[in-house]
Amino acid sequence: MRKLFNLTLGVVTSIGGFVEVGSISTSAQAGAEFGFSLLWAVAAATLFLAALAEMAGRLAAVSKRSMAAAVRERFGIHFQIIPLSAELVIDTLLLTAELGGVAIAIKMLTGIGFQWWILPVGLVAWLVLWLGNFSVIEDGIGLLGMVTLSFVVAAWRLHPAAGQVAGGFVPTVPHHDITRYAFMTVSIIGATVSPYLLNFYSSGAIEEKWTEQDLWINRVTAWLGMGFGSTVAMGCLVTAAIVLGPQHVKVETYEQAAQMFVPVYGRWAVTLFALSLGIGCFGAAVEIALNAGYVLGQSLGWTWGIDKKRRDTSRFVAAFSLVLLLAVAIASIGFDPLRVTLISVALTVVIMPLVVLPFLVLMNDEQYVGRHTSGPIGNGLLATITILGALMAMVVIPLEILGG
Amino acid sequence: MDIVRDVLDTRVVDRNGREMGRVDGIVVDCQPNQPCRLAAIVIGPAALGDRLHPALGQFVRRLEKRFGLDQNRPAQIEFADVDEIETKIRLRLTISDTAVDAVEKRLRAWVGRLPGAR
Amino acid sequence: MNATIRLDRLLGREVHTANNRRFGRLEEFRAERRGDAWFIIEYVVGTAGLLERLGLGARLILGLERGGGYVVRWDQLDLSNPDRPRLTCSVDDLRRK
Repeated sequence: MRKLFNLTLGVVTSIGGFVEVGSISTSAQAGAEFGFSLLWAVAAATLFLAALAEMAGRLAAVSKRSMAAAVRERFGIHFQIIPLSAELVIDTLLLTAELGGVAIAIKMLTGIGFQWWILPVGLVAWLVLWLGNFSVIEDGIGLLGMVTLSFVVAAWRLHPAAGQVAGGFVPTVPHHDITRYAFMTVSIIGATVSPYLLNFYSSGAIEEKWTEQDLWINRVTAWLGMGFGSTVAMGCLVTAAIVLGPQHVKVETYEQAAQMFVPVYGRWAVTLFALSLGIGCFGAAVEIALNAGYVLGQSLGWTWGIDKKRRDTSRFVAAFSLVLLLAVAIASIGFDPLRVTLISVALTVVIMPLVVLPFLVLMNDEQYVGRHTSGPIGNGLLATITILGALMAMVVIPLEILGG
Repeated sequence: MDIVRDVLDTRVVDRNGREMGRVDGIVVDCQPNQPCRLAAIVIGPAALGDRLHPALGQFVRRLEKRFGLDQNRPAQIEFADVDEIETKIRLRLTISDTAVDAVEKRLRAWVGRLPGAR
Repeated sequence: MNATIRLDRLLGREVHTANNRRFGRLEEFRAERRGDAWFIIEYVVGTAGLLERLGLGARLILGLERGGGYVVRWDQLDLSNPDRPRLTCSVDDLRRK
């Protein structure tokens, strides 16, 4: 009974924590510019994410090692230093974008310039990590994040034609702007399949002390959680498609994106959008900072864990504190959050093959996953993601230049 | 026993199960007409730096010296003090017998001072 | 030869044959317990190229034991210059991986 409750909570928090600055930006732009026709990209990206998350969870539950720990042990520091450094750089950029997202949301609610909010937001994020523990943080983020269901409700209330929405799940070549469409596809995948999410998920499995007995919980949380979570991103896309599309609005600011809520929520439009954006981004910011601690602590062999005493994990605390400080510093220099978001998303795609390739080995190594090795479907999926990832990595930079 | 697979980069804990770090380096003693003998495991960021590039190892050593953290580091632990090698390596020593936690201790002085430190 | 060597720095190093031709890279060290101590009795040299050095490649994806490579006994490898390990025998005398 208790496990069922925890499972439900796990799925719910995955829904609440699904969207953040990357998915909101890309979904809004995709909907505004291409109608429903990129829904398949959101679905495909979610499929990849859920599959990878399930594997990350399985790895942690059976081998008792997080992704970063397993990669260090199985491949050594010479391999790991590359994805590790890349991930830290990208995560710092993404963290900056998330802090920017929260700051913009508060600006929308208060009218006070977003630059003023960066430091306070960073400080609150730090306090959450300093004082919280894993369940409180995760459940808090997830439950508050339920406000993002506004996207789903809005899409529902706009009564989109079911046939047309269904058509969006079939990949088609658009009539116009093919490079932009391709760029958006790749961006959606990069925004959804963030490397930090995978290590974070596996670290969470270790914090929650999952064992082989919990593999079914892992499967349900990964698939149902991400699956339902993706409806939020899809809701954002559909709403943008119906409201912003006909107006030919190219979403270049979050204020423009907020307009998508006007027909459904009237004078609450900006408030609800700001709350969804702000809470979604805040949750992600906390997770990204925490993950920096996880990844460094696990790779280098420190004592780590948000459930442990802070005194016993000083290097871990220093890591998540410094990355927050760095992100706040970069954000304070002044930047365009939407641009930084799209750059981080593009960079995510570039390193994706390096992140996924270790899975191919680890998921088939009995020393790590015991008898729970990936079957042909799992391996097939991994191989597909790796190849697609490599292809996308090659085109993303040219696409960013041409279509970004 | 395969060294790269089973020893290098593996977590190390002390006699009481406390985290000490990972095996960042291994020292062997090579005498003529004999196979090389495993002499010690090395734990520490300087050793890790050495592996990536000698200049990096030197840089870490200079940093540690600058902060007065270079005594007995990177920690060399005699192979004789290794108790068992499984998914992690357990030593016969306790962490305080080595200098692996010098950085942690130094940071603890700061972290411990923050309000609400637990 | 009487030396203290950092074994991890040997990892990935090019091994040359007795007549100074490139042979492969050191990828594993097999140790055996004798009495109180552990001794490196075998060196695994992989001949598959750059990807080996990163620890990846088809060899690992398909399974650790496949792919080109040799097992070199401790007395078949000269480490007097650790930067340049050399075989002391001919390649034909080596056991395949």
